[in-house]
Amino acid sequence: MNWEEKIERLAARAQAERTPRVDVTQSVLHILASGEAQPLTAAERLWMWLAAAASAVAVPAATAALILYTRSAGPLNEIVEAISWAVR
Amino acid sequence: MRGAECLVPEWAALIEAVIAASVRAVAESLPAWRQDTTPDATTADWDDVKLTRRGDSEAYRRLIERHQDRVARMLWRFSRDRRVHEELVQDVFVEAYLSLRGYNGKAPLAHWLARIATRVGYRYWKEKARRKGTEAFDLQEWDEAVGAGLTTGALEPDHAGELLHQLLEQMAPRDRLVLTLRYLEQCDVVETARRTGWTKTMVKVQTLRARNRLRRLIEQSGTE
Repeated sequence: MNWEEKIERLAARAQAERTPRVDVTQSVLHILASGEAQPLTAAERLWMWLAAAASAVAVPAATAALILYTRSAGPLNEIVEAISWAVR
Repeated sequence: MRGAECLVPEWAALIEAVIAASVRAVAESLPAWRQDTTPDATTADWDDVKLTRRGDSEAYRRLIERHQDRVARMLWRFSRDRRVHEELVQDVFVEAYLSLRGYNGKAPLAHWLARIATRVGYRYWKEKARRKGTEAFDLQEWDEAVGAGLTTGALEPDHAGELLHQLLEQMAPRDRLVLTLRYLEQCDVVETARRTGWTKTMVKVQTLRARNRLRRLIEQSGTE
């Protein structure tokens, strides 16, 4: 029996296992009633969307800025700039 | 000033509704999302969801009572510590309540809860993996226990589940998730994708990688 067969047979056997009974009804309703967990308000959700949109714009902008900076600050670029009058 | 304060939530709600509608429109246009052709939610569930949204806690009690056994069974794959297990089940229903606005009744509530349960369980594994390394595990011993149990046929289902849990605990959370869903929950690619929120291609790739890593783990121990 190879490893995969073993695992498949174990998994098949484990299908019949008993799960401990839990009753979370009271605890969940208690948490919700006590206000420990509340849905986000409309304003909070708006801020969340804005933050996500701002991040989505900021990351490509920062990447593009970094690429442009490394290009313009390269040693080869400095030489070309210095002799640009001759090229012209 | 007071008038302006009153207007802000209204504007916020309006802008949020527009953004949410746009996101939904984009999402619905994606092929993977369109394949979600599950039957509608049962009438009882849908009625209770609507009542819960209006603030009826009794309706939410009924929803919990109706679904907690299935959710508990699912989360038993994620933790076999009874205290943690109960906390995870509780987290699922708290999280479900907080995002109940996002449930549209197109798919059965059980499927929606299964997605939340997977997310909660996976998050627990990731936190656990960050906190500490895996516990000592002897694969040779494990292999002997499995071999003896399977050849004599005396392996109890609970013990089989425990052995599988011990083995999969050695894997990274991502690998463990896909192997648990595929082997233990017996999910196909579509169902695994639905529960994890991954694409079907990603599920296939992840399954292949996880199986290879599991094979290597077993081979390294010299049991194969």
